[in-house]
Amino acid sequence: MHNIWLIAKREYLERIRAKAFLVMTILIPVLMGGLIYGSAIINGTRNNSSHIAVVTPDAKFGADLQSELQSDKDRKFTVDVISPATATTRVTLNSQLADKGLDGYLWVSPAGPGKTRPTFEWVPKSKADVVTKGNIAQAVRTVLTRERLAHSGMGASDVDALLEPIDLDSSQTGKSDSAIAAVGVAYAGFFLMYLVIVQYCMNVGRSILEDKTSRVFEILLVSVKPYELMAGKVIGVGSVGLTQVGIWLTVAAITTQFGLISSGSSIAVTAPQLLFFIVFFLLGFTLYSSIASALAAMTSSQQELQQMNTFLMLPIIACSAIIFRVITDSDGTIATVFSFIPFCSPLIMYTRIAVHQPPAWQIALAIADLILTTLAILWFAARIYRVGILMYGKRPNLPEILRWLKYS
Amino acid sequence: MPIVELHNVRKAYDTKVAVHGLSFKIEPGTMFGLLGPNGSGKTSSIRMMIGMTVPDAGSVSLFGQPFDRKLLNRVGYLPEERGLYKKMKVMDQLIFLGQLHGLDATVASKRAHIWCERMEITEAIPKKTEELSKGMQQKIQFIAALLHEPDLIIMDEPFSGLDPVNATLLQDTLVDLRKEGKAVLFSTHRMDQVEKLCDNIALISGGKLVLEGGMREVKSRYPRNRVQITFTGSDAFLQHPAIEEAKNYSGHAEIKLRPSSDNEADAQAVLTQALSMARISRFEVMEPTLEEIFIEAVGGKVDA
Repeated sequence: MHNIWLIAKREYLERIRAKAFLVMTILIPVLMGGLIYGSAIINGTRNNSSHIAVVTPDAKFGADLQSELQSDKDRKFTVDVISPATATTRVTLNSQLADKGLDGYLWVSPAGPGKTRPTFEWVPKSKADVVTKGNIAQAVRTVLTRERLAHSGMGASDVDALLEPIDLDSSQTGKSDSAIAAVGVAYAGFFLMYLVIVQYCMNVGRSILEDKTSRVFEILLVSVKPYELMAGKVIGVGSVGLTQVGIWLTVAAITTQFGLISSGSSIAVTAPQLLFFIVFFLLGFTLYSSIASALAAMTSSQQELQQMNTFLMLPIIACSAIIFRVITDSDGTIATVFSFIPFCSPLIMYTRIAVHQPPAWQIALAIADLILTTLAILWFAARIYRVGILMYGKRPNLPEILRWLKYS
Repeated sequence: MPIVELHNVRKAYDTKVAVHGLSFKIEPGTMFGLLGPNGSGKTSSIRMMIGMTVPDAGSVSLFGQPFDRKLLNRVGYLPEERGLYKKMKVMDQLIFLGQLHGLDATVASKRAHIWCERMEITEAIPKKTEELSKGMQQKIQFIAALLHEPDLIIMDEPFSGLDPVNATLLQDTLVDLRKEGKAVLFSTHRMDQVEKLCDNIALISGGKLVLEGGMREVKSRYPRNRVQITFTGSDAFLQHPAIEEAKNYSGHAEIKLRPSSDNEADAQAVLTQALSMARISRFEVMEPTLEEIFIEAVGGKVDA
């Protein structure tokens, strides 16, 4: 035990003191924050105001549509009503579109014979501008409904009351004050765990390979057993990962506490969620890093290790492919099945817990099969590791590796 | 009580037998040379002595007891392939390795300083390992192997890559350690060093013991039929009928005499003839050198 502690301590201190640790600790939140806020800003500023024209023979419809669009709280519409159209209207509008003074125009043709509705033709400046198109379609529908209702004898105030937007209140269903916050926590936790597991498993592998190629192992193995070496590495590197997450969470907690970041709704992480995060992170990290240790012990160069790591990453990548499904349907079949696959359960089960607490037996089962798998993998990994770190040169093939398991 | 005893040890990797029924022992206060061509099983044998691998058959005992990892705290090991943590400071590194051998950090630090002075590398103490020269790194590793005052010191090719000054420093240190009653085992290809330093040798080839015993005793098994003469003048005496083979390196002749009942007399006859035609500044009759014994014992079986 003492040796494991010594090796873990050495590994930990060397990594914590390295500049790379400091850079990563600062850079990753900055990059992620930059990405989120940056995209929010870009989305916010884009098309905040639109200038469109409505061409209709029905002046009242034009005025109604104008007032409907201008009542939009999220965007500022400038609406020109042209009624009725003259021979040159279309040409003028098209030239306005071209010199960018206009974002689009709506051409309304009255209902012809055999048609009950007028036809609407929307000519946008950019076909990709689906948001404006959606806004206009919505507004036209509202105006038409209002007209029809008024036509059938309903009073203006009744119509307004009927068309009042409906507020879907979901705050009563859970204890947390906002479902969006829960999804936010689930996403943040998932990517945090994803990032740290991938990053630090690679580090374990790299560190082992470094010691192998620099032949430090040869001198260590007189006083240390191979399994102590491996355990020390995994614990040392894993602690660095936990330290990094700890720093991030602490900084996040402090900044939200003092309102330095206005997150809109409070992103509250409950104590059980944090506990499960740590439990699943530790188990997942142990599982993946013990595989990484065995892979590193089998190889003799960074390039080879890089290739091997691809296999290691496959289950994690699979998790990120289904994560949207898991968050939107956290008790669905896919989410449930994947949360029992040991290689996916740290990420998927944690996410399920963050979104909506699954039955206790499912959590227990996921943890139990994760622990059993981790122990089995550790047993295999330790054996491969023990032989592998003293083997140089050609990468072993499968029968050779199977023979290694039998070596004493 | 022997410090190390190997009894009929065998080790195979997959289909290749690395060590084949090897037995020898090392007594305290002696220096033991483990010799053999490349790939003969030296490193494999050493690895079994320090528990890095376990023999398939046979037994290894240390300090008179069957092998046990606890006994390894009394063993110091310098591997053939040198390796240290590159980013670590020299002193941190020595303390870390000392601690792994069960030393207290303060004790390890004190001893490390003493040793650095003795090995004349005090200026390296505040540096990182990667900033040091290869020779210096080797000295650091040498110190690391000795920090816990082991009773058995195992060194795989300790002199390779060292300049003559440092090689001598290392040699003298090993001789001092032997005087203190420690057993030293080292493997090397440098036969001149073995001849100078070792009390006992074991020569292995193809994983098998070819030759074993005390240095003097092994050499006395061979006839004193080698003559070395340093001379100026004519080299016509090299045609003497008692000479089987002679090499003349511009004034330094190495002569092998024909087998006969009295090599001493033949040697004198050669000397008499040489005196008549050249000035002799050195004349020596000797057994074959260890190098010749090595080459003869291994024969053409060097397979590395």
